[in-house]
Amino acid sequence: MIEALVEPKMMLTIALMGTIVYITYLTKRNTTASDFFVGGRSFGWFTNGSAIGGDYLSAATFLGIAGLTFQLGYDGAYYAFCFSIGLTLLAIFVAGPLRRFGAFTVADFLAYRFHSKRARLAAVLVVLAISGFYAAPQLLGAAQILSMFFGTSYEFGIIFTCIVMIFYVGIGGMKGTTINQALELWIRLGAFIVMLIAAMYGGLHYDKILTAIHSFSGPITGTSPYALDGSDINFDGAAWTGTGFYFPTFWQTISMTIGLALGTIGLPHILLRFYTNPSAKAARKSALMAIGIASAFFLLAVYLGVVGRAIFISGSASEEVMRDLVLGGNNMVIPTTALALGGDWLLGLVIAGAFAAIFSNLSGLFITSSGALAHDLYATFMKKDITQKQRVIAGKVAIVILGVLYGALGLLVKDASIGHLVALAFTVAASTFTPIFILGIWWRGMTEKGAIAGLIIGLGVSMWMIFLPGTLPSFLQFKIPGIVTVPVGFLSVIIVSLLDRKVPADVNDFMKRVHSKESETV
Amino acid sequence: MAGSHDYDYVEAGTVDVKDLPPLDPTTNKIMKDEFTTGFGLTVLYFIFIFSIPVMNWFAPAFAFKKIWGGMTVTWFVTTVVMMAMAFVIAFVHTTLYEKRLKKYEMTNK
Repeated sequence: MIEALVEPKMMLTIALMGTIVYITYLTKRNTTASDFFVGGRSFGWFTNGSAIGGDYLSAATFLGIAGLTFQLGYDGAYYAFCFSIGLTLLAIFVAGPLRRFGAFTVADFLAYRFHSKRARLAAVLVVLAISGFYAAPQLLGAAQILSMFFGTSYEFGIIFTCIVMIFYVGIGGMKGTTINQALELWIRLGAFIVMLIAAMYGGLHYDKILTAIHSFSGPITGTSPYALDGSDINFDGAAWTGTGFYFPTFWQTISMTIGLALGTIGLPHILLRFYTNPSAKAARKSALMAIGIASAFFLLAVYLGVVGRAIFISGSASEEVMRDLVLGGNNMVIPTTALALGGDWLLGLVIAGAFAAIFSNLSGLFITSSGALAHDLYATFMKKDITQKQRVIAGKVAIVILGVLYGALGLLVKDASIGHLVALAFTVAASTFTPIFILGIWWRGMTEKGAIAGLIIGLGVSMWMIFLPGTLPSFLQFKIPGIVTVPVGFLSVIIVSLLDRKVPADVNDFMKRVHSKESETV
Repeated sequence: MAGSHDYDYVEAGTVDVKDLPPLDPTTNKIMKDEFTTGFGLTVLYFIFIFSIPVMNWFAPAFAFKKIWGGMTVTWFVTTVVMMAMAFVIAFVHTTLYEKRLKKYEMTNK
């Protein structure tokens, strides 16, 4: 028992948990709804930029991008690149105006744009759909990591993570969540930087190892004891550095690019973060910082995936490393490479980083969804004369409800693909909120009916294309159907608005609020 | 409470889009300037972005030509150049925006 506790992975994970508890305790004072849902709008660009990075770079990114590069080669690197595009578009079109608008939740935007409870309700539905599909794979990842490194059951992993989230977000609110997310981002980035230094120190330079991988063709020694058929695994380096592994056609590639690139603009937990800055200028700087962090992170993730592949094909790693690379699946590449490069302490840092990634992303989803339930549903539709204190309590109760709801979803997706579910969340966001926010901010002609139609049709079509592809003709079957669903989302809003023509009488005031310089600090 | 907005559901009513009064000239100019810059940078960015799959699928001999060690043209562009490009585009946008903001402030003074 004591031996297990002094293992680096255990010590560093306990240190992370202890820090989270301490930060949560320090930030437990949430007296107003502004404190609880948007952290009192007090976070500067550095903290919020780090927190956006923490929110954006989930466990799927921390472990998955390197894993995809390890497995697919160039196609995995292209996948990483597509994830890196979205934040830039968000910074250009949405960050500043959204902060000038300055409400509490994503649904507030639609509700106040149209003075419409129906629009708020439609937005809440979409927020919960996106957050649910995003939270489920994060919980799945958390349970798998706990199972891989600590030998716990899948069910225990889901329940444990939900309890941590209820405590972490329920007590700390947006203040605790933001500070924890910022800290967790730097733990992850720190782990990657230490791995980079270790790899460079070990002579694993990018060009050198890519040359070695590209020119490798044949069986990988040391893999036969763990392979299903008992013989060494074959690997073709030239194919690995080419394209067509994951997305077999040009149009599949374009469809994924559109879905992932535009999905970020519509992710509710990312949009919400721009409400927490004190000014629109700080919001723009936060976005810029998050882009810098994300770019560096994706670049390092791809490089470390290549390092993992170089170590694997060399066949010279320890038996433990070779075994984990064969049996552990793609998500084991970062931990296994860390073990090969720096031993138990670096592995411990990576495990702490993986937990940090999961907690960070899940906390963003929990706080966003709690706003949707407590602020958008309860306070708007059920208890209109709600006080600030009751609003905070409602937020906390919503966190507990979400813990149970997301926990149940996590249990249901035990055998699902993490990547597919995350892609679903991106596609739904790209087809629903992305058209609404871009058109809502830049086009006065968008009507309430147009917005609601865009949300409902975008949600329905993306669900249909992802869950029931077999009902569609083959030319409409896409792994990530952004090429169809995103134009459908935009066109639904535009066509219905043009037919409806009834715009809010005060739309000019709204445009002035979100664009005028007087609203830079509101 | 910095930056809070306590909105109510004020019944603002609706108007036919053709009867909508024009935006005030300042807001109109700000929106136009901001959108023109953002749209221009986005078009440029998307030309770069979509040039990668086009290059990979329609000019593979060039895309997968080695330029440095084992690094091909497309690997370098996808994993190094484009990662930097995301930041550069956003940085240019923010810088231009801040410049315009200063210009508006000077004009107002």
